[in-house]
Order: sequence, then C-alpha cells, then structure tokens
Amino acid sequence: MRIDDLPGELILWILIASEVAVFAAGLSAMVVMGLRDPVGFAAAHAQLDGRMATLNTLVLVTSGLFAARAERDAAAGRRARARIGLGLAALGGLVFLVLKGLEYARDIHAGIGMDGQPFFTFYYLLTGFHAAHVIAGVAVLGLVTIRARPAPVQAGAMFWHMVDLVWVLILPIIYLIW
Amino acid sequence: MDRLTQSWLHLLALTTATTVLAGIDSRLAAVGLLALAWLKARTILGGFLHLRAAPGWLGAASLPLALWLAAIAALCLMRPG
Repeated sequence: MRIDDLPGELILWILIASEVAVFAAGLSAMVVMGLRDPVGFAAAHAQLDGRMATLNTLVLVTSGLFAARAERDAAAGRRARARIGLGLAALGGLVFLVLKGLEYARDIHAGIGMDGQPFFTFYYLLTGFHAAHVIAGVAVLGLVTIRARPAPVQAGAMFWHMVDLVWVLILPIIYLIW
Repeated sequence: MDRLTQSWLHLLALTTATTVLAGIDSRLAAVGLLALAWLKARTILGGFLHLRAAPGWLGAASLPLALWLAAIAALCLMRPG
C-alpha cells in the first residue's frame, strides 16, 4: 500500500477523509443524544418522510455514475462526452436539491423547526450542511465542464463521489434507524 | 457491462434492500441498515473512487467506516425500549 497508488490528488483524499470525519462526528453526537431521549427521538423521526431521502439516494448514485463516466471520457480525450456526463451529474445534483427543498417545505409546513426537539436540530444541521456540499459540488462540476481536462474533471468527480459517500452514511442514521 | 455500471447496479440493489429493511421495526433491522450503508460506501470507494485498483487502500478506507458503523450499531442496540 503506497501513497502513489491512490488515484487522483492526495489533497482530495485528505479532503474526503476530513469531510467524512466531520459528518461522522455529527452523526455520532446525534446517536448519543438519542440514547438520552429515545422516545422523543423516535417520535420526532416518525414525523419525517423518508421516501424523499430514498429517492434522493437513487438520484445521487445515478449522478455519481455519470460523473465517473465523465472522468473516464475526459481521461480518454472524449471531451464532448465528458461534458455531457458532467452536465447529467450536475443535473442530478439539482434534482437532489429540488427534492430536498420539497422535503424541507413539507417539514416547515408541518411545524417542524430547528429549535424544538434536538433530533430536528441535528436533522437540519447535518442535511443542510450536506446540501451545501451538493451546491458546491454542482458548481465544481460546472467549472470543470468548461475545459473538460482530465485532471480537473477527475478532481470534480472525486468531490462529487464524496458528496455521494456522505449521503449513504447520513441516510440510515437520520432517516431509518429510529 | 463495464465496472462503473456494475457498481451503479450494485448501489441500486443495496438501496432497494435498504428500502425493504427500513419497513421492519426492530433493532436488528437497524444493524442491517448500517451494514447496508457500509456496503454502499465501500462500493462508492471501490467502484467510483477507484480504490479497488489501489492495492490495500480499499481495505484501509473501509475498515474505519466499519468500526464507526459498528459503534453506532452498538449504541442502537443499547437504546432502551
């Protein structure tokens, strides 16, 4: 196992590890808080609609496939195909954000705010922080689409897969295990 | 079928399994959901982030995730009620 074997830039792996660690810390704190008030957390969780989250998982992993293909196409010099892949990946990010917005609108309409039950404080903070990463990811994908050169496209795709990776860890802990 | 498509199909299958297991109200189902999350994370790391092609790195990235999710699972099992 050598550092040189890692695909892409080392700094991106440091970023990925750091981001996963930050989200893991937040999710761990949520679970520990849930131990102190399991009934309250379960009741709060029951107010969420997990269907949107599941749909968003399908959207993100499909978007990840387009990003990965774009990376492969850019490496092979197929810039036009890479641009299409990046565009579809970014479109997936936008669909994710629309669905997330609908989910938040439904929650707010149901009277679910950040300042009530601690479960919802974690819910809004962690999913909101993740959504901010999705926005950043869409912007990064848009930027690397302009020239569609291999190294920047690889960096953009790696950032996008990190967003995907974090989401599959968020999904069960916020939406499913309570 | 190329490896990227295989990884994607694997992720779809794992997400479907997650949806099925989420309908079961038990602590063991929660442990299963966390295990599925680990499998999805490993698929993304190995397939989309290409760690499968980097000797030793997929295991090195998957192990801390497995330990963390095992700790979360243990906390779920400790939950009263």
